[in-house]
Amino acid sequence: MVSTIQNTDVKQKEADRAVVVAVTSRAVFDCGADDGDEVCEVGVAFPLLQALQRVNERLLEENPSESLLFDVVLITSDSQQQQQSSRIISSTRHHGLEISSFCFSSEEDFTESLLKNNVHLFLTTDRDEAAQASQKGVFSALLNGKVASSEQLRVVFCGDAVIRTDAEPPSASQDAAQSFWAQLGEMRRRFGMLDSPLSLVLLTSRGGRESCGTALQTLRSRGVNMDEAYSLAGAPRSPILSLLRPHFLLINHLQD
Amino acid sequence: MSLDPVQVMSGQVKGLKVGPSSNGDSRGSWEEKEDQDNVGLATKPKPVTGRRTRKVEGGVFFPKPENAVTVAVSSRVLFRTEREQKVFEQDGVEEYLRFQIEHENEPFTPGPAFPFVKALEAVNCRLRELYPQSEELFDIVLVTYNHAHVGIRLINTINHHNLFIERFCMTGGSSPIGYLKAWQTNLYLSADADKVREALSEGIAAATMFTSEKVTEVSESQLRVAFDGDAVLFSDESERIFKAHGLDKFFEHERDNEDTLLDHGPLKGFLEALGKLQKKFYAKGQRLDCPIRTYLVTARSAASSGIRALKTLRAWGLEIDEALFLAGAPKGPMLEKIRPHIYFDDQMFHVEGAAEMGTVAAHVPYGIAQKHNAKQNSSVRK
Repeated sequence: MVSTIQNTDVKQKEADRAVVVAVTSRAVFDCGADDGDEVCEVGVAFPLLQALQRVNERLLEENPSESLLFDVVLITSDSQQQQQSSRIISSTRHHGLEISSFCFSSEEDFTESLLKNNVHLFLTTDRDEAAQASQKGVFSALLNGKVASSEQLRVVFCGDAVIRTDAEPPSASQDAAQSFWAQLGEMRRRFGMLDSPLSLVLLTSRGGRESCGTALQTLRSRGVNMDEAYSLAGAPRSPILSLLRPHFLLINHLQD
Repeated sequence: MSLDPVQVMSGQVKGLKVGPSSNGDSRGSWEEKEDQDNVGLATKPKPVTGRRTRKVEGGVFFPKPENAVTVAVSSRVLFRTEREQKVFEQDGVEEYLRFQIEHENEPFTPGPAFPFVKALEAVNCRLRELYPQSEELFDIVLVTYNHAHVGIRLINTINHHNLFIERFCMTGGSSPIGYLKAWQTNLYLSADADKVREALSEGIAAATMFTSEKVTEVSESQLRVAFDGDAVLFSDESERIFKAHGLDKFFEHERDNEDTLLDHGPLKGFLEALGKLQKKFYAKGQRLDCPIRTYLVTARSAASSGIRALKTLRAWGLEIDEALFLAGAPKGPMLEKIRPHIYFDDQMFHVEGAAEMGTVAAHVPYGIAQKHNAKQNSSVRK
């Protein structure tokens, strides 16, 4: 059973233009035991939502009638959290989060709520959930477990799998990934080189400079211009990742 | 599980799950993925004594940062980018990037660090011949705060000049210093003195390089690195005495302290790294034919103040191939004879003197001489 509640405090975005980002409520709020407190603590995804909000604010500053905005949807599938639905909604209000709707579903059919809401990117801290959503063709990514501190929305793309041979037909998930990237690229173009509220970062872990270069060109041909590029050529990723401080890390999930 | 290398590179991976369903655990952290990646890395599984080797396309062997001698260079010292710099300074960043993209297929010409980097690669070739499995090699990383928009031009340039640089960081404007540490950098070369100073304060050997019109030819088969002594290999303690109390006091101090070791300077670690690689050649009977040669070029005198320097080096277990004690004579002519690929000095006066004679000299902005440099510069301006 899937139900969606619209947040009347927030202006709803244009369905066909907005970039719908779904985040699990478990990641946004840390609703501990109900100790009578109306409001939950913030979770690991909180800085991300703030960063998404800042991007929206800047987009609207550039163009007050901008429709290419982030549309944040909160997914609650955890039965424990379901019971806290009123706390979730009041916490949202309390923290001033620009969440346009709340989706409640059971653990089995949360993917249905993603598809119903035309989600372009699903973010969770749970690997299994991300895998399940991927299998249904929803572009998914894992949230940074460590809280990212930058104000700027930093999106890191692991580019080792950017290039797809033409022999293989694209999977639904790859298409979803590509269209998300195209949207991000368009959003990025709304801002100048300096002082942008979002930064697109390419990271290639395996291949050498050629594969990084090819990734840059491929992305550019799809209208996505990266701000930063790192070619690791086999060096360990963690030291670099901890400096990059991404809010989330996007990897093309390739299905077998 | 066999992996077809072509498939790995093009992203089609059968059998290897890159996605989050790979591990049993559900709470994800990216660090765990590291191990997954390692399994996918080897293009040709090769039996190695215990250690897992990292390979990239073409099956080329690639060192782990902690095992290699990592030299990080900025794009402005590896290549000549004056025209582009001017565009940046006069017309701003947007125009600068547009210009770079427009000229994407025009490779940059070699900059001051270029011969040095080529010589590092020559040493690597020799090391690979003797020790094919070893990761103790030079690893050159391009660290630039350019935007990734310039990336394609930089990659095209690296291709054009046949350089072996597979690792880079284009930070899009943020400080590269953190990345230097992440790469376990042994030496950082940049055109930006502030960045160099920052690196030095973080304990990373670093020097500022300048573009000079006159460049004498250097060896393509033997890497030659020359160092000043005080405030480069050694601390600036003796220089302080000299500056504060004059030459006589300096000599007296050095004589009295002959048996006390000098403290180490910012480039000591790099000399040490070079020494380790040299020993690998000696171990294979290639002492005379060693493709790395090091020089000490100091204003100290052989008979007096130089003794303390030599004793210190010996105590540190560092061999230097040639020690040249100039007793205050100008360094330019001596350097012109040596033809090093790079010469490190803490005083701009010597750096400029060397450059005038065609030696690639790099400034190490460390120690008491810097205050003196500043005073000299301001008096010149008056």
